[in-house]
Amino acid sequence: MATLAHPDDLRRPNIASADIQLPAVTSYEQVDNEILAVLKPTKAWFASLMLAIACLGLGAFSWIYQIHQGLGVAGYNPPVMWGVYIITFVFWVGIGHAGTLISAILYLFRAGFRTTIYRAAEAMTVFAVMTAGLFPIIHIGRPWKFFWLIPYPNWRLIWPNFKSPLVWDVFAITTYLTISTTFLFVGLIPDIAVLRDRETNPIRRKILGFLSFGWRNTEREWRHFARAYLFLAAFSTPLVLSVHSVVSFDFAMGIVPGWHTTIFPPYFVAGAIFSGFAMVWTIIIPMRRWFGLRHYVTLNHLDASAKMVLFTSLVVGLAYMIEFFIAWYGGVKYEQDYFWNRVFGQWWWAAWIMLTCNMILPLSLFSQKLRRNPTWLWILSIFINIGMWFERFVIVVPSLSHDVEPWQWSSYMPTWVDYGLLIGSFGWFFMWFLLFVKQLPVMALAEIKEIIPPKMKHTHSHGGH
Amino acid sequence: MMGVFSELDSTVEAIEELKQRKMGDLTVFSPTPRHELEHAVHPPMSGVRKFTLIGALSGVCFGFWIAIWGSNYWPLVVGGKAISTWLPYVVFGFEVMVMVGALSTVFGMFYLAGIPRLTMTVGYDPRFSRGSYGIFCECAPEQLVEAESILRRHGAVEVRGEK
Repeated sequence: MATLAHPDDLRRPNIASADIQLPAVTSYEQVDNEILAVLKPTKAWFASLMLAIACLGLGAFSWIYQIHQGLGVAGYNPPVMWGVYIITFVFWVGIGHAGTLISAILYLFRAGFRTTIYRAAEAMTVFAVMTAGLFPIIHIGRPWKFFWLIPYPNWRLIWPNFKSPLVWDVFAITTYLTISTTFLFVGLIPDIAVLRDRETNPIRRKILGFLSFGWRNTEREWRHFARAYLFLAAFSTPLVLSVHSVVSFDFAMGIVPGWHTTIFPPYFVAGAIFSGFAMVWTIIIPMRRWFGLRHYVTLNHLDASAKMVLFTSLVVGLAYMIEFFIAWYGGVKYEQDYFWNRVFGQWWWAAWIMLTCNMILPLSLFSQKLRRNPTWLWILSIFINIGMWFERFVIVVPSLSHDVEPWQWSSYMPTWVDYGLLIGSFGWFFMWFLLFVKQLPVMALAEIKEIIPPKMKHTHSHGGH
Repeated sequence: MMGVFSELDSTVEAIEELKQRKMGDLTVFSPTPRHELEHAVHPPMSGVRKFTLIGALSGVCFGFWIAIWGSNYWPLVVGGKAISTWLPYVVFGFEVMVMVGALSTVFGMFYLAGIPRLTMTVGYDPRFSRGSYGIFCECAPEQLVEAESILRRHGAVEVRGEK
């Protein structure tokens, strides 16, 4: 099936006009049939699910072992008392940013390329934030005490310290998880109604009827739905920006070299969008190929998202450079020594993985040929995922291991328990995502139908869409 | 009287004529939101925004209140620092505003759209979620014939009476 109908489109994707069309998709029936065909389980899907569950099993075993043996089995080495768990927490929160960015911010900006990718990105957000939320609980060592972070009058009437960034985090992450789940579910209601109406199994039909809340596709429902969706997008937009800003405060509020800097909030937000888009590619590019959805996620869509990745990569690169510049220009010897140690000393290998993956390789996206090459984009997405994990490693570990007091400088080496939980987090995330793609539409049926010209009796009636 | 249409413009024309002839309340079904239908039906503006505003204001007040009250109730005294202070509490005000505002928006949508609904009630056809449009006209018994003729004249692929 042709991806592009007009040869002119081939080299002229246009984000700003939101004019990304789906010329190979011509009818509502085609949308339903092709997207709902993804729901049929395949052997490859089962194999992927088993692999994800195996990874999750490794993570679960590592966690149980850590609970039994104590936090000492993780690689913490004073003063490096934040390690893989906090790095992975920040990594997954960052991954979770692209979903709400694509569904909310790009919705408000009327960017057409979001239409076919936002559902997968929203689901990715929910599962990524679910994954991220586990890590502070794992990190505290005594997971049964995690509820102490929640502000409620417990049996000793102790309230948390509201001036602590860690408590801000609890509010920010809880709000983000709640709102991103709500946003995903509200958008799914009309699509679940489509599933309900096609379902022949009475039990499944009943379940889908319950989940669709008796949605009937009336004009009244659509009117309130559209208004609510707009307001949810308007709420989610500053929320996306605030959540990673709050996460960055976990570091920026500490008087530690490399952390105590005012550029952290925008730097973290740009990095989160950058890594989130990379994860969208990691998921979407194989999906469009395996499920025959290349005429929904066209090269124009990939090209437009590649420009977004290139832009955020440049912002992140600028932030890295500003950090180095301010360390030199500020004249504080601890900062200077720290940054030298980060790039040319003890942690050079981690810093150069970060710089190569996040700054140098994405420059390839200045080439339109590479922006329209799905194989390269997928490979690049893996590099970016690795680079962004190492960015958080470079932020967390070198600062703690090389702070203002030389007598306590040390090193850090993750153990198999750390790696087990890191691998387990990917298993947990992909298990949920794989289950999602086989239960619910991975693309928004109603929104895709909106961009297809409707059936008309007269050619020029009522001005069209 | 229920009419099922396969074309958008036919549906719009039928709505316009039914409204012009004051044939009673209309419920319009569509597989996807369409501005053409909204213009033809000319409904009042959605009231969801009131729920959003009330929810957001309640949220921001609660967010600030919980932080200020909690700090004063269990004071963590640090030399030279205020017990409760506005700037960091903006985080609580903002986050709780978003949470309560968004949830009340969804509640408002459900309330105004009349969902959750346990049954499909009269006048629903599974074709409306696939690709067809529908008009359910709640007219008086003496107008039934005229409503049927309007729906057929504008190209309804099926017209049926519903009770």
